[in-house]
Amino acid sequence: MRGDWDRGWLRYGFIAPALVLLVAMNIFPLLYSIVLSFTNADLVGSNSSWVGVLNYKFVFKFAKYGQALRTTALFVFLAVACELLLGFGLAYALRDRFALKPLVLTVLLVPMMLPQAVMGLFWKLILNGNYGALNQFLGLLGFSQPQWITDPDLKFLSVLMVDVWMWTPFMMLISLAALQAIPPHIYEAAAIDRASPWRTFRRITLPMCAPLLGLAVLLRATDALKQFDLIMALTGPNDRVTQTLSALLYQTVFRDGKVGLGTAYSYVILVLVIALASVFLRYMGRLQRESDS
Amino acid sequence: MERAVRGGILLLCLSWASTVWAEEKVTIWWAQWEPAAALQILGNEFEEETGIAVEVKQIPWPSYQDQVFLNFGNNRTDFDIVIGDSQWIGRGATKGLYLELTDWLPSAVDIETIHPRAARYLCEYPPGSGKFFAAPCETDAIGFVYRKDWFENEGERAAFKTRYGRELQPPDTWQEFRDVAEFFHRPEQKRYGMSLLTGRGYDSIVMGFQPFLWAWGGDWGDAETFEVQGHLNSDGAVEGLRFFKDLLQFATEGGENADYYFNLEAFSNGSTAMVLDYFPFYPGIVESMGDQVGFFKVPRNGDRRFISLGGQGFSISKKTPAHQQELAKQFIAWFQQRRVQEKWITYPGCFTANTELLESDAFRAASPYNATFAESLDHLRDFWNVPVYNELLAAAVQHLGEALDGVREPREALDALAEEHEMILMEAGLLEMQ
Amino acid sequence: MRGLRFLFVGVYLCLGTLPLLWLGITSLKERPDTISVHLKWLPSGAAGAEDDAYFAATLDAYRQLGVVYAGADHAFYHYLKNSALIGLLSTLASVFIGTSAAYGFSRFPIPGAKDWLFFILSTRFLPPLAVVVPVLMMYREFDLQNTHLGLIILYTVFNLSLAVWLMKGFIDEIPRAYEEAALVDGYSRLQAFRLIIIPRAASGMAVTGVFCLISAWNEYGFAMTLNNQDAVTVPVYFAGLQGNVQGIPWPQVCAGVLLFVAPIILFTVLVRRHLLRGVTFGTLKQ
Repeated sequence: MRGDWDRGWLRYGFIAPALVLLVAMNIFPLLYSIVLSFTNADLVGSNSSWVGVLNYKFVFKFAKYGQALRTTALFVFLAVACELLLGFGLAYALRDRFALKPLVLTVLLVPMMLPQAVMGLFWKLILNGNYGALNQFLGLLGFSQPQWITDPDLKFLSVLMVDVWMWTPFMMLISLAALQAIPPHIYEAAAIDRASPWRTFRRITLPMCAPLLGLAVLLRATDALKQFDLIMALTGPNDRVTQTLSALLYQTVFRDGKVGLGTAYSYVILVLVIALASVFLRYMGRLQRESDS
Repeated sequence: MERAVRGGILLLCLSWASTVWAEEKVTIWWAQWEPAAALQILGNEFEEETGIAVEVKQIPWPSYQDQVFLNFGNNRTDFDIVIGDSQWIGRGATKGLYLELTDWLPSAVDIETIHPRAARYLCEYPPGSGKFFAAPCETDAIGFVYRKDWFENEGERAAFKTRYGRELQPPDTWQEFRDVAEFFHRPEQKRYGMSLLTGRGYDSIVMGFQPFLWAWGGDWGDAETFEVQGHLNSDGAVEGLRFFKDLLQFATEGGENADYYFNLEAFSNGSTAMVLDYFPFYPGIVESMGDQVGFFKVPRNGDRRFISLGGQGFSISKKTPAHQQELAKQFIAWFQQRRVQEKWITYPGCFTANTELLESDAFRAASPYNATFAESLDHLRDFWNVPVYNELLAAAVQHLGEALDGVREPREALDALAEEHEMILMEAGLLEMQ
Repeated sequence: MRGLRFLFVGVYLCLGTLPLLWLGITSLKERPDTISVHLKWLPSGAAGAEDDAYFAATLDAYRQLGVVYAGADHAFYHYLKNSALIGLLSTLASVFIGTSAAYGFSRFPIPGAKDWLFFILSTRFLPPLAVVVPVLMMYREFDLQNTHLGLIILYTVFNLSLAVWLMKGFIDEIPRAYEEAALVDGYSRLQAFRLIIIPRAASGMAVTGVFCLISAWNEYGFAMTLNNQDAVTVPVYFAGLQGNVQGIPWPQVCAGVLLFVAPIILFTVLVRRHLLRGVTFGTLKQ
């Protein structure tokens, strides 16, 4: 009886629905968009014709596509770095038990559960240069009142700030787990050796947290790479300073209607994402083997 | 069981009957503002007369374009008529979205009565070709609203006169405009001189820049050859952009990136003396601020006064059944009748393209900004309306934005913009490759 | 040192929760107070002078959630219903399909199982915008755009990777001895799955469900491009109020946001023990 299942086709019945759906909704669209990327297809769906690699040529010819790539890279790097530093700092400060800890943690975690598109809209109210609460508070305290989402030197940082507000809790969550996983006896041994706190931190805490922090960084980086909701809400898809890959893709496909050009561009992005994802997947595989053994 | 079957059959019959007897209905999409509400009222009158229902769906401006073109991609559009923005007409006409109305339109409306600029920019493609893809609906222009109570304040008038040596009144030239803006700009009191159109979301920075571009002698390009170099980056154009940027020192906090909605709020929260916007946005302000406000038309530079055109025409979707297209034509023809147009112009923010009516006293008296609007008409001009208008617009938004933000010098920005515009026009096959 | 730590946490806690507090305060205002150039942050019974800090607190915004705001087709609750329907049904589908696949991978020797699992995970890293264009074209063929079903299918697939990976972890933790005993007793495989595994995996399925629900609930990119007409969800509704001629109704938006996120926050608190597992695809177990 059991043998039938283990060897027979029926066992595939359990996994087939998932695989069929994933192929139909992820793999097929990707193949389809290869085809689209060689045509001049339009969003409004009039007849399209084959244009060869012309779209790919334009992707490399127009400066804005390279610019968006640089903007995205900078955004991912800064967002992940700030969130890691702040998140790990918070976790480190909160590592001991205290009475209100569960409550404090819950409150700190709230932002990462909120819808980004809606919070982006709400932050636009806070950051408004004419009647925004942030500037009014700064004014009360006697500080200058910058134009957060319109000043070209600031708007990128503003988007970054909102992203950091939303996702620092994520880094904190994983950092806490990493800190808690360090067996206390290692610290005890260090105390016996009279290691300084800084030395203990550098020689024990950091190395032992590193694998999990690496995981957190990779997870966040792949998400930050896709960031669209906040940019859409705060500065819109056609802002030169904050135009990331997703924003430019939206502008190309849904505003200009250039489906062919857009899909060509998304393939260029895809190569990058695959590179990042493969690093991530290998990392996760190794982590799993370690936790299994 | 039998009962269930019988009940089911009955239900089926009923639902079949309801589809057959469903009332006839024309669905219209338009942006969300006062004129659309008025169009719905007229639509209800049309239903009373003909039995054909009219539904006007209103979509807020920032997502209007995205939603219309996404919908055009479907096999069948959710609307029968779209009241499309003037720049869309090239895309609608060439991509098989708008029904061509050249043969039908003269039977519905006397083409001679349409204001020539409205016909050229709102209804024809290519402009001036005599091929119609839209019927006139709303003709529109930008114009200023100002704080009349501040301008009429005795103390202010005296202070202005001592400082500038002339009376404080709504400015007629851009140089006078600058003085008035400077005069009212008092950031320490949270009062500001003005707010122009400089927003980066869709097209507001372009609509705000155009009056300066044209008034200082520049242009977007040659309408015949599509050459841009030498027009968009001419000395005059650069000078106009400099003047535009210079004015921003008197702008409301955040006025370096002010779109239509920002200006409405900056004005209605009492912080700003003069703001620029399209006229149909003003009914709300008139309602809430009444006597406190007045209007003046876009100023001139020397003898050159040019005003950004707005407005939309009725276009019939090619992706709706023939029967629906006929209903749509019935409604459009009904709307063009003189008695309906006479009613249309009495609603706030509703502007006809009918030259005679625009000159009538009834129109001028209907709303406090109507007279100013009528005077603005002869100065209207529009942006490119070729199928790739959106890419041209997006590039203009970015480069002009850089100039206003001080990232680049005006001349550098316009050189870069002219180059990118020529590239886009070449890619679209309009400008010959060199 | 300890003082420094509390100072750091305290400052971050204040700065981090201030925006949330502001959300609450704004929901109690009337619209003119939300766009006043003077800071209005103290609720009071009656309106203060134009330039002082008091505003008249009112619950009007919450009452007006049932009213259709200009520029929208329906009132807030209509969109909430769409979000709930799409979120719940797609979550149910993801969890069941995911559990079944996880069971398959957990219990049977499947050739290339590791590769399959990683393929499933990799789909999570696709930028939604790279897939949305071809999906839109497909949906147009089948008239699935602007329907509840279209988004339900999409979210189901979108969450499958998470569901499979999380459930595999939970099912791996259930000893095989239970089912083997049942199989010896004459249960069929399906019966064993239904009667032995599902009840024991129920809490894991609930946790998985919460994470699927959160991502479907908050999703914006697909919803905006595929469902901008009939089955509009709450994030798309709010974003669509921008540029409203009457201005964005900030008090109603804030009141609506609070109602909208309340269930998510509640669920988060309920599954807080499993949070870590959820955000790391089951790689980390607490």
